[in-house]
Amino acid sequence: MYAAPFSYHRAASLQEAVKLLQELGEDARLIAGGQSLIPLMKMRMARPTALIDINFVSELGDIRTPKGELHIGALVRHADLEHSAAGATIPLLHDCAAGIADVQVRNQGTIGGSLAEADPSGDWGTALLALDTSVICFGPGGQRTVPLEDFIKDAYTTVLAHDEIVTALHVKLPLKGSGGAHLAFKRCAPVYPTASASVQVMIEDGNMCKDARIILGCVGLTAIRAKEAEAALRGKTLEEKNIRTAADAARAAADPQSDMRGSADYKRILVGTLVKRAIGIAARRARGESVEAGHEYAGR
Amino acid sequence: MDRAETQMAGKSVAKGKRKKAVRGASRGWSTNGAQAAPAKWVGQPIRRKEENRLVSGKGIFVDDEKMPGMLHIKFVRSSYAHARITRVDVSKAEKFPGVVCTLTGAEIKKQVQPFIEIGPGGAQKIADYPMAVDKVVFQGEPVAAVVAETRLAAEDAAEFVEVDYEPLPPVVTAEDALKDDSVLHSAMGTNRNWHGVFEYGNVEKAMKQAAHVVHIGRLHFHRFSSTPLECNVILVNWDPRSGDIEYHCNNTFPSFASQFLAPALGVRIDQIHMKSFDIGGGFGIKITSYPYMAVCALASRKAGGRAVKWAETRIEHMQASAHGNERTFLDTRVALDKNGVILAIDSKHVDDCGAFPRYEPLGCVIWAQVLPATYRVKNIRIDMHQVVTNKCPVGPNRGYSRMQHLWFMERVIDICGQTLGISADDMRLRNYIRKNEMPYKTPNGCVYDSGDYANMLALAKNLVGWDEWKNKQAAARKDGRWIGLGIGSTLDSGTNNFGQARIINPDAPFSGQSKVGIVKLDIYGEVVVSMGSVPQGQGHETAAAQVVADALGITPELVNVRPGFDTAHNAYTGHTGTYASQFAVTGLTAIHGAAMKLRGELSRLAAWKLQAKEKHLEFGVGAQGPEVRVKGTQKAINYWALANLVNVNNAGMPESLWDVTLNCRHVFHANFQIPDVKRKYGNLTLTYAAQVHAAVLEVDRETFQPKILAYACVDDCGKAVNPRIVEGQVHGAAAHGIGAALLENCAYDSDGNLLAATFSDYTPITAMNMPELLYGHLESPSPFTLNGAKGMGEGGAAPVHTICAALQDALYPSGVIIDDSHNTGDSLFRSLQKAESGGYAGMVRVEHQRASR
Ligand SMILES: Cc1cc2nc3c(=O)[nH]c(=O)nc-3n(C[C@H](O)[C@H](O)[C@H](O)COP(=O)(O)OP(=O)(O)OC[C@H]3O[C@@H](n4cnc5c(N)ncnc54)[C@H](O)[C@@H]3O)c2cc1C
Repeated sequence: MYAAPFSYHRAASLQEAVKLLQELGEDARLIAGGQSLIPLMKMRMARPTALIDINFVSELGDIRTPKGELHIGALVRHADLEHSAAGATIPLLHDCAAGIADVQVRNQGTIGGSLAEADPSGDWGTALLALDTSVICFGPGGQRTVPLEDFIKDAYTTVLAHDEIVTALHVKLPLKGSGGAHLAFKRCAPVYPTASASVQVMIEDGNMCKDARIILGCVGLTAIRAKEAEAALRGKTLEEKNIRTAADAARAAADPQSDMRGSADYKRILVGTLVKRAIGIAARRARGESVEAGHEYAGR
Repeated sequence: MDRAETQMAGKSVAKGKRKKAVRGASRGWSTNGAQAAPAKWVGQPIRRKEENRLVSGKGIFVDDEKMPGMLHIKFVRSSYAHARITRVDVSKAEKFPGVVCTLTGAEIKKQVQPFIEIGPGGAQKIADYPMAVDKVVFQGEPVAAVVAETRLAAEDAAEFVEVDYEPLPPVVTAEDALKDDSVLHSAMGTNRNWHGVFEYGNVEKAMKQAAHVVHIGRLHFHRFSSTPLECNVILVNWDPRSGDIEYHCNNTFPSFASQFLAPALGVRIDQIHMKSFDIGGGFGIKITSYPYMAVCALASRKAGGRAVKWAETRIEHMQASAHGNERTFLDTRVALDKNGVILAIDSKHVDDCGAFPRYEPLGCVIWAQVLPATYRVKNIRIDMHQVVTNKCPVGPNRGYSRMQHLWFMERVIDICGQTLGISADDMRLRNYIRKNEMPYKTPNGCVYDSGDYANMLALAKNLVGWDEWKNKQAAARKDGRWIGLGIGSTLDSGTNNFGQARIINPDAPFSGQSKVGIVKLDIYGEVVVSMGSVPQGQGHETAAAQVVADALGITPELVNVRPGFDTAHNAYTGHTGTYASQFAVTGLTAIHGAAMKLRGELSRLAAWKLQAKEKHLEFGVGAQGPEVRVKGTQKAINYWALANLVNVNNAGMPESLWDVTLNCRHVFHANFQIPDVKRKYGNLTLTYAAQVHAAVLEVDRETFQPKILAYACVDDCGKAVNPRIVEGQVHGAAAHGIGAALLENCAYDSDGNLLAATFSDYTPITAMNMPELLYGHLESPSPFTLNGAKGMGEGGAAPVHTICAALQDALYPSGVIIDDSHNTGDSLFRSLQKAESGGYAGMVRVEHQRASR
């Protein structure tokens, strides 16, 4: 379990990282937390010839809230978000961060790496779509901002050019009256979910759904925005019947594949249930209730 | 019952016992400056001696060891399950910088004898080489190896080994194997490597007399493993000068391995040296690592006598170390009387041992140690088959061979109970062997030493809150919820009689059971114990120290137990290893015997030196450390002085004491006979620890995920030498079983690809999946062993039985029959769909006969 030979480079600044990416060519890769890349390298399923370490680039590890927006640096670890004030005010972020793998992976893995990896089962790619998120990228031409829905194009594929780096995410702070939840079913702790659902709802007059975002994870090549499911809630009361309709619409939107995590039919059933439960939690949070929620695990 | 209460219930027994021990303390001890100590250390829940070393990172595992000039080996493995090898080209790899040599199967074939086959007849013709020669028979089978200066170089170079294959049709299921359309070992001519009928009583007569005959369709016990934290590791040096082979290695049954290696490699057994210190878990899976041990030794020899290390990766471990046995149960018929008492069972069982019968076909008889499980059934016929398939060879995984059979018996009990409308607890009470029938002779001549299953069940029900949950279940069912209650009764038979191998092969040259213990007083008076066991986390050092402390009247801290196993200690017989739940009996009795011999020698020496009669001496700890003294006087001699007399200061010692060595070796022998091979009858094992688990679970109506709502484990392993260690073993075994039932499955696709080659797919159980375990303990001392102890730790896969039972209870009203030992949300979803479409019709069928009987 040793990686194929590679050279190691430590970038001190974004500019240097970009320069190194250009110089070292297509087979060079950035390394952040290493929690996706290193296992692949050890199995020799990834064989970069050079690694460019961005862990020493300053200012990529910040969580800040400038005017109405949450700024999350690309190097922010899952554990940082789990324990952050932002996680406390936006519970969906906490649900997501705290449910990733185990303590070791959460301490090491980064949010930027997770989006750049674009794993179809990655939690951040699902959770952040339920909020208004844009990805800040830095390249030879300077900085550009890409809405998250345009950032991930396909499984393991983003719009990033080879010499581009994710530097931060900007998440619009949810308005008052809005609440969300990210819920997944996982067989055991250190594995990706079998299915996941992220829901953000805006509520008026106690039970009227003004707006909803419903995102499905692990049931397609990328996270899927279930627009029909959203429509089933928008402008309607959050009563059981409407929630069931939304869950069914979510099932119809899913496009899962069979694997060791479960059969396609089962994942479709499962994701609808997760949507339904996430709506319930999101609605309670939107009403200002403090609801502790966590993923579901086999046996418990 | 809440958690605090149940803990009390669980602990009350242990507490009572401790009190007794303390009371005893005032009797035995005349203190002479020594601190108060219990009369007996055996039975005390003292902390493990090995704990500090292990948790502070001072454990010594094989991969921590280095030898001068050490090389590294990397295996090139087959990606096919079944294929002819048409070409192996190592020339490019050999030229790679840092490579010292390579090995191929064809080359190895010229250097070794195939491994001994235990099976009779055609199975003797299987040519089991440690590397594939001209065909591969499972995915991951080694076809070549590269030996290099560094591990990295070995891994890099291995990519340059070229192998061409011509795929052959893979045989993946037991049923397909029996068809013999594609045969793995052509010399054997069939995939069925063993067959025998185990028949006792009069099955047909009982079927005729029965009130009900229940027919049950196919049941299947899945493949899973133990995934020890530490994979296999081998460090070996084949010294060209002496011809001796030195192994540092975590094989857990070194005597078995050396008996396979010596003839294969053409050396004497005394030339094979084996050593382990700490081992990161084994659970039986490391017993069959000897093919790798052979290749590594050959690599060392080819490299000119340089040491070679192999540290297995997790993927290698999952694909090609060992899995547990898979078993399919067909055409089952069960005869019952009108009260639900089972009169007879008739069934056909097909065990799947993977590509090579390594250690197998012993599994074809080991299950018979628990032939009637915990039940009184007298008439049994099991038509036993074993087949080879294109999957990883099996190894004796925790609960080996018995758990498969016990699971079958528990399914039979529950399916019959449900069919006849008898509740799970009642069904068991009607069929359990009674306490007053112990020792109980089974229809095949085994003797259950002691046990009180009904009482264990009562305790388990109490812990889990059975009656309360029954009420809740009834209410929940009305709301459409799927709540189920389940019981798993199981046995952990220990101290096996190897004579049962004769039932497999009348010519098998082994039988009985033995273990060695050595206790010596070293030159400065230190008490040193060498164990004939291979501990892997079971706390042997602690238990051994407790036994020796009692024998010599000292404390466990004064007993130095050498960690690990070392042939140099000479504490072995051909049975030496740690397997089959037995250390508490075999290992500790051997150590006790050795300690008593030492006590005898010390007594003779002290009597001479103190000019006293032996009967006036007592043993204890004085101001000068451990000593022997004359009762009621100040006359004493400590261990240093005694050791000094024999070792360093022995002029003037009378000739009558020259046989005193203070280095005492004792061999434990179990009192076993060779079974009657024709009738397949005899005592196959010495002790029977029991486990009764009870669980409540709910299958989520929307996710189909089973959630454990309450879980109780009740254990009875006779006298617990160290209750803390026993409880730890019960927790570990329970976690392992829950993992097997809900998460862990070595699934293969129809091409023979292992679908669970990484932990992402095998998903070994984590803390996130574990319920709170409610623990209870009963003690039915064994009449056959020292201290009444029984071996334990395998746990009999109690949770697999229990969870299947609870699932069955939850989903029976929906028409589901739980017919597999592994169930997930996904599989339950599909089971419910199958039930809806009538897929279980005919799976269970009852014939009601003369209801009068
Ligand atoms: C056992 C285990 C279980 C896991 N379970 C889960 C889970 O349940 N849910 C989940 O969401 N994830 C899970 N993960 C993945 C984890 O979240 C990773 O941290 C994440 O996918 C990648 O982040 P990283 O910082 O480790 O990236 P790295 O592994 O360092 O990099 C991943 C890829 O992204 C690129 N990259 C990294 N940073 C940047 C950047 N700033 N700009 C551009 N490209 C970049 C790298 O070049 C590389 O190609 C698991 C991982 C492991 C090992």
